[in-house]
Amino acid sequence: MFNRGSQRGRRVIAISPNGPTGNGDEVEARFLAPHFESEGFPWLQIFGYIGSLLLTIAALLAVVQHILSPIGLLTVILILAVAQAALQLGIFMHLRESRGSTWHIITLGLGIVIALGLVGMSMWIMTFKSGVS
Amino acid sequence: MSSLLAQLFPPSTTRNMELSADVLIILTSAAIIYYLTRWHRWKYLWREWLTTVDHKKIGIMYLIAAVTMLFRGGVDALLLRAQLAVPNNHFLGPLHYDEIFTTHGTIMIFFMAMPLIFAMFNIAIPLMIGARDVAFPRLNAISFWLFAFAGFLFNISFVIGGSPNAGWTSYPPLTELAFNPGVGQNYYLMALIVTGIGTTATGINFLVTILRMRAPGMTLMRMPMFAWTTLVTSVLILFAFPPLTVAMVLTLFDRLFGTAFFTIGRGGMPMMYVNLFWLFGHPEVYILVLPSFGIFSEVVATFSRKKLFGYSTMVYSVLAITFLSYGTWVHHFFTMGAGAAVNVFFGLSTILIAIPTGIKIFNWIFTMWNGRIKMTVAMMWALAFIPTFVVGGATGVMLGAVPADYQFHNSYFLIAHFHNVIIGGTVFGLLSGVYYWWPKMTGRLLNERQGKWAFWLFFLGFWVTFMPQYALGFMGMTRRMYTYSHGFGWSSLNLMSTIGAFVMGAGFVVMVYNFVWSQIHGEIDVTGDPWDGRTLEWSTPSPAPEYNFARIPVVTDRDAWWAIKQDHKSNVIQIKPQEIQDIELPKSSAIPFLMGLSFFVFSVGMVFSWWWIAVVGFLGFVVCMLVGTFDYDDHKEVPRQVIQNTESALGRLQG
Ligand code: HEM
Ligand SMILES: [Cu+2]
Repeated sequence: MFNRGSQRGRRVIAISPNGPTGNGDEVEARFLAPHFESEGFPWLQIFGYIGSLLLTIAALLAVVQHILSPIGLLTVILILAVAQAALQLGIFMHLRESRGSTWHIITLGLGIVIALGLVGMSMWIMTFKSGVS
Repeated sequence: MSSLLAQLFPPSTTRNMELSADVLIILTSAAIIYYLTRWHRWKYLWREWLTTVDHKKIGIMYLIAAVTMLFRGGVDALLLRAQLAVPNNHFLGPLHYDEIFTTHGTIMIFFMAMPLIFAMFNIAIPLMIGARDVAFPRLNAISFWLFAFAGFLFNISFVIGGSPNAGWTSYPPLTELAFNPGVGQNYYLMALIVTGIGTTATGINFLVTILRMRAPGMTLMRMPMFAWTTLVTSVLILFAFPPLTVAMVLTLFDRLFGTAFFTIGRGGMPMMYVNLFWLFGHPEVYILVLPSFGIFSEVVATFSRKKLFGYSTMVYSVLAITFLSYGTWVHHFFTMGAGAAVNVFFGLSTILIAIPTGIKIFNWIFTMWNGRIKMTVAMMWALAFIPTFVVGGATGVMLGAVPADYQFHNSYFLIAHFHNVIIGGTVFGLLSGVYYWWPKMTGRLLNERQGKWAFWLFFLGFWVTFMPQYALGFMGMTRRMYTYSHGFGWSSLNLMSTIGAFVMGAGFVVMVYNFVWSQIHGEIDVTGDPWDGRTLEWSTPSPAPEYNFARIPVVTDRDAWWAIKQDHKSNVIQIKPQEIQDIELPKSSAIPFLMGLSFFVFSVGMVFSWWWIAVVGFLGFVVCMLVGTFDYDDHKEVPRQVIQNTESALGRLQG
């Protein structure tokens, strides 16, 4: 709905029609050129959607059923979370496309560094529970 | 029935002040409805504004909303200052005072500053980078309507259901159901969740727009500085808003569904809320200030008639600020007592951030050095920013020194610090942008003499208001106190601060008068380039036609428009008829508005725990998504003949 190129093979809206000029922008233009997967019924996306829902429900059940030890529970929901992230990146975020892979690696790397940094530092900060100063 | 009434109108909504507000709201709404009906404006409103996806109009709507919210937040501020003007005052009771400062802070940050920033993004960015719209025009409209309906939701809380009262930071346990019954806090949570979704979408939108849609030849290192700061602000938004949304949703679950994420008695961890909130909160302060840095860079360069000094250092320091700003959030809760190692680490990272910030200040000063400076109102706001922000930054570094912060934390010193940086940095910058880009938005220039009055009142009022607050902080006055006794010796400084606040209020009134007057009598901008500008937005007519550029410009230099003007001394704006092609543009759509409305209905259901209303709102949202997904008829072709006629009417066609 957010203005993808439409089914009838028309151009993507409002992008400069002139294309790269050879003034140094062709590298970016090549990596960022839009690229839509071949059209057909989106089975894969529907699978991805249902898969994500199932993984979420599994994590929720694991937590509310109290059948695992705390460590076991943490391990299980972490694995489920990573699996879901991988699923979404692969299916919805065009990670499997070879085009633009440099940008993927840069942004994904940055994202992982920041996310792990934030989580790691939060855990460090919260260790204060063991000894309030 | 009576229980419903009691739920809708608890005692806090039937005080005299709230009842008078009711009367005013009803009268104003009636006047607006009468006006629209009498002059048959409903259709026009719907067709031209409520369903538009044009970034220029969305920008104007953001601006109007932001100024309205500045009024609301400003009235709240004056009420707070009136209460504190004299010791032992009973103008507002303690609960009333809490409600008003909560509303003031939340509105100013989320419903005034953020939309004003998005107004600037929308008005300037596509024109600056030579694009015909943003990357996802309909999503852009969705962002706006989510913000607008969330703002509406938050604003009605004080007359229907009761206002939130736990501060703009809303820490548990005060926000947990046991200590805060009533629906006020639900309003806060839903409003922030909904507007947060819109903000995140705006971040994605401008990130893609800037990476994907620059005019040919505009490499990253040829982008105007404002485009750079918009780019990094978008990245900051993407990483900063998720922790906020998580904190809000978890609190909402605690309140509505009996979970205990933040309830210590049941194994919850209220400190985790504080951590999540500031994981968002510190990047947020840079989200607020970086766009202003970009605006200053444009304004200072234009009115010094020089190119920006040290462009690449500016870019790198912006990137450094962005990266560092993820690693400083603990400075908002040093006193939580996380231990020496944690506090020292975050104290150092906080002070480190002052370095790239300092670099930028010098860059602006060197840009002006030897320049032919033109003292327009836009330039005055930019100049006023420098000393103001330096003071704010210096007190920030003082707060970043951990042992000292144990004294300053949550005192009026802190209050003075952040108003110093947010008003002196964010607000001055955005007002500079408003005066700078106003002709581009509206086609008329703002009256400079009135603008200078507004500027001086606001600027002087600012210093009179906030400098005494630093001293009050040292004297032991803590934030969020609703009254104090005479013996503390705080009386005269508080009175001074209140006087300053009313002077700022006068400045605001003059400014709004300036806007309205200039819309009627202001000088018309016939050239499209009233300031002899340097960047591409000044190459278009004012206001720019729907398609922005009849022909997308080719960029060969950093200050693209300046370079074009230098190259061809004459006739730079006229194009040849054969250069005009058909242009594809996004079509207006009702979906964004309806989606905002669905979220509003959903939120009302959540706030009052009326589940069936929440379900209706949610279904509305699903329907909007489905209809939008299969709506392939979302763009239109503007034939070249139409463009030719428009351009020729604007005098921009050769021959
Ligand atoms: C040189 C840069 C800066 C430094 C070193 C700095 C440092 C700090 C520190 C240490 C605090 C926490 C004090 C306490 O709670 O005891 C603080 C609070 C705050 N700062 Fe800054 N700051 C800087 C710039 C900014 C900027 C640019 C903004 C926004 C535009 C800003 C907005 C705020 C806000 C809103 C708070 C308080 C929030 C609250 O508690 O309600 N700061 N700052
Ligand atoms: Cu901070």
